[in-house]
This record gives sequence, C-alpha cells and structure tokens, in this order.
Amino acid sequence: MTPDRPAGEHQEAEVVELPVARRASDVALDELELVYAFIYARVGNRPDAEDLTQQVAMKAIPRLRQGAPASAIRGYLFATARSVLGAFWSTRLGLSEAELRDDLALATPAPPSPADDRTETVQQILSQLSDNYRRVLELRFLHGYSLKEVAAEMNSTVGAIKVMQLRALRAAGKVRPPE
Amino acid sequence: MNGKPENRVEKIIADLLRGRRLKLRGGDAEEKAAIIAAARLAGAHQGPQRMHPTFRKRLGQELDQTAPDSWVTRRTALVAGLGLAAGAAGGVLFGRTGGPETVSASIDPTDGRWTDVGALDEFTEGQGRRVSAGGVGAYVFRTGSKVTAVSSICSHLPCELSWDAADGHLLCPCHPAKFTPGGEPAVRYSLDALSKVHVRVTHLGRVEVLGTA
Repeated sequence: MTPDRPAGEHQEAEVVELPVARRASDVALDELELVYAFIYARVGNRPDAEDLTQQVAMKAIPRLRQGAPASAIRGYLFATARSVLGAFWSTRLGLSEAELRDDLALATPAPPSPADDRTETVQQILSQLSDNYRRVLELRFLHGYSLKEVAAEMNSTVGAIKVMQLRALRAAGKVRPPE
Repeated sequence: MNGKPENRVEKIIADLLRGRRLKLRGGDAEEKAAIIAAARLAGAHQGPQRMHPTFRKRLGQELDQTAPDSWVTRRTALVAGLGLAAGAAGGVLFGRTGGPETVSASIDPTDGRWTDVGALDEFTEGQGRRVSAGGVGAYVFRTGSKVTAVSSICSHLPCELSWDAADGHLLCPCHPAKFTPGGEPAVRYSLDALSKVHVRVTHLGRVEVLGTA
C-alpha cells in the first residue's frame, strides 16, 4: 500500500497520508469490536448493539486525528459509547443520565477482557441471589429455557415463574456488579 | 399492552432471547431496573460478542469512505486532535439496521482446491460425516444423489461441532447450541447459521469438498 517513493519533490503531498488514514481506520475498527462487545453486554441483543456501535463510529470517527494512538482512539470511542448508551436508555426507558450513573460509570474503557470475564461477572451477580431466583434466571438466560420449561423444571406454574422471574430480575438489578 | 408488570417484562425477555430489539414500555423504577438487568443477562449468556462479519465489513467500508475525506483532505481541520464535544455527527448513518437474521456465508478459500473425501456410497443418507479438505473442516450430508456441506466449526464459539445421530443435529461442545444439517441454528436465541461449504459429486460418484491445499 505504501509504495516506495523516490525522495524528492512533493514529499508532503496528500498521497502520503492515505495509507496512514487506512491504518487509522483499521485500528478504529478493531477498537470498535471492543465497543460492540461492551454495548452488547448491556443491551443484550444484536440489532440494538449494531445500531449503537454504528452511532458511536459515525460520531467519533470523523473527529479522530490521523495517526492517533490506539489508546487515545479507545478513550474517545468509549466516551462516545457512554453518551450513545445514555441516550439509548433515556429514550427507551425514560431514565435520566443521573439515574443511569451507576451503569455508565462502568463504561470506563475496559481493556480487552478474557473470554469468560463477562459470564463470570453475571455468575457473581447470580450468586448473590436466593436459590430460586438464581435458578430461574440461570435456566431462562443462561440455558435458554422457555417459561414452560422453567416451570416444569422447578415444579411450578408458568404464572408463578413469571412473577418469580420479575422479582429475581429486580433483585439482580440491585446487586452491584463487581468491577 | 398487558397491565401486569410480570407480563410486560416477560414480553421483553422473550424478545431479547429471540435476538430482537429491546422494546420498552412504561413501568416503575424497579421494573426499569429489572429490564436493565434482563438486558445484561441476555447480553452475557453467550459471553463477549464480536461483530458479525457482515456488519464489521460494512462498518469498515464506511470508515474507509470516511477516511480520505475527513482524515486527509481536511487534515488541517483535524489537527486539533480528539475533540470531546460529541454531536455533530456529520456522517450519514448506514441505512440498514440489523435484525435477527441468520446469515449463511459460504467458505470460499483463496486458491481453493477440490478435495476428494470419499465415494458417494460411503455417505449414509441423512447422517452427517466429518471430512477435511486441507484447512477446511466440514460435515457432509447426503440426500439421495445430492450432497450438502456445512462448516464443522460453530458459528459463535470457535469449537468443533459433533454430529448427534440420534438427535439429528450438530452440537457445539462449548455452549448449548445446535444446528440442523442445513446449518440453521436450532436454539431459542439468536445465532448465525453455519457457513456453507462447497461440495459436489463427480461423474465418477466421488464426493469433493472445496478446501485448501
């Protein structure tokens, strides 16, 4: 991509810059992978995660300086991700930024985490719940059981499981994730 | 919709587990906290996610389009560095938004090579058989005189699938995921289809898979 150019005139011509810009965009794309994982872990679905990652890219990329180090790009992308996620929750849930402070505080630029880090965090949250609450959430979210299957597994009714599920989630929402 | 909070939240959970968007409705503060917790659990149940290749490619193309204009030609305007004032997106958002699709890309190796993996007769009707074509691992399925093949690697975690003859599915050993012989996911949550592998039957009745040298 970077042809060897004879030393001489027009050294500072724009043609020199293009490969630099390409490299920067590659770096940005890899950084956006982290942003995507971060957002997905919070919204829990691909369509929203893709939309929000797109928004982050479109807001942040035009403002990035060519040749910026990866760490600076990451910092800015995550700062933008915080803002985009805040707007998302505030639109969808009617929550103010202040109410979301805890959630957004976790949005500090995280280094690439080991593959199981996120799952481990969830296990730590679940471990603080009562047996029944933990079981219903494990079956539903980690094993993908339907309500009916959870009810059968726990010798209960669909209606009772639905209520237990809501209470379990409320309890999970109060647990501060370890950071 | 339904007045009871447990029903509202269940609807949201069911959507999430099907890979759909969060469609939120009103509710009290605790209900909102429950929804945020549900989204996090749904987001964690498969571990950290990577962008789908299709999405990553599109994003990359958009970045490449952005780069020459904003990073090169308008260089002087950008030397100011990392401005922290958000907003002024200035860009055109990509038109498409991802849905819970099952994209099934095919494996098209550069300098691909057809590899003989056996005689058609050796493949049992409806049963998956693991074959290798250089660096490409595949499960081949025979239906009469036709064959199809899918990648032997799970579409989500990079784990080698196994064929469960009794169940008639390909199973992932790394997480609770399974796929039909056609490569379609047979799970309740959103999962991409397995990559297709090119396979053919020669006029001599030999099965060949497009792999690598």
